[in-house]
Amino acid sequence: MLVDFEIIKRAQAGDAPAFNEIVLAYRKRTLGTIARLISRPEDVEDVGQEVFLRLYFSLDQLRTAEVFEPWLYRLTVNAAYDYLRKHRRRMESRMSDLSEQQVVLADAMAGGRVDHEVRQRRQIAEAVDAMLSTVSEADRILLTLKEVEGLSLKELEKIYRVKENALKVRLFRARQRVLKAFGESGKEPSAKGAAKAEI
Amino acid sequence: MNWTNRSDENAELDVLLRAYREACPDPDASANFMPGLWRRIEERQRSVFFLGRWARALVTAAAVLSLGMAAYLYIPHGSTSVFSVESYVEALAAGHAQDAPSLPEAVDEL
Repeated sequence: MLVDFEIIKRAQAGDAPAFNEIVLAYRKRTLGTIARLISRPEDVEDVGQEVFLRLYFSLDQLRTAEVFEPWLYRLTVNAAYDYLRKHRRRMESRMSDLSEQQVVLADAMAGGRVDHEVRQRRQIAEAVDAMLSTVSEADRILLTLKEVEGLSLKELEKIYRVKENALKVRLFRARQRVLKAFGESGKEPSAKGAAKAEI
Repeated sequence: MNWTNRSDENAELDVLLRAYREACPDPDASANFMPGLWRRIEERQRSVFFLGRWARALVTAAAVLSLGMAAYLYIPHGSTSVFSVESYVEALAAGHAQDAPSLPEAVDEL
């Protein structure tokens, strides 16, 4: 826990500074998870605000300290899922779809002003994003939480409120679908190229 | 051959997903994050408040209307009442009073 349960109790009672303290403690981690779940930097803060908004209005339902973090993850997952459903991802990103920041980055890369490391990171992020966009939102989120965020099956069990065995099956199937997309991407230079560059 | 390919792909996928974690570090929030969040909270509170007020007003209006209708139906309205207290036979007899022969005439005919 990044905050004491006392602070959560104060926030439950309507103490705004206590709620601010919770947001400040979990904000960076939550935004990071959202960024990796939705892969749209320009919308990360918006989804992050939605998560803490839902937290604010459902905080009074929280009874014990140990369920707070899985619960916050659950709110994060739900908000990311809602976002992904609303903005179904396109297979190819066109220049008109890029954020201002991405356009600047793309221009800079074209001009050779961005160093190799930044370019490689961008290549990896785009490759994984393209690969994950070929599977369902639910598969994408589950796999990202397990393989990218590094959550254990026990933690996922608390977030999804399903038995470990059911989770294992879902994870296995999600991974198979991503592997299929990954195998198919071998015909193109994207994902496999990025993986090989990383190795 | 297939199994080897699959396990290679599995390993490559693991590497790629690990690299993705490093390629996308936790971003810092902008200065507008907290003010924006509180603005959204206040907007939601306002809409919940107005919705609650509307709901309460609607319930009150419905209760008043129900009481009014109950009172209207309970108070007797004399002959103008749409409801009749007569039985069906009484109503039929009243409606066909002139058609029915008087009893002495009927006896004479016999």
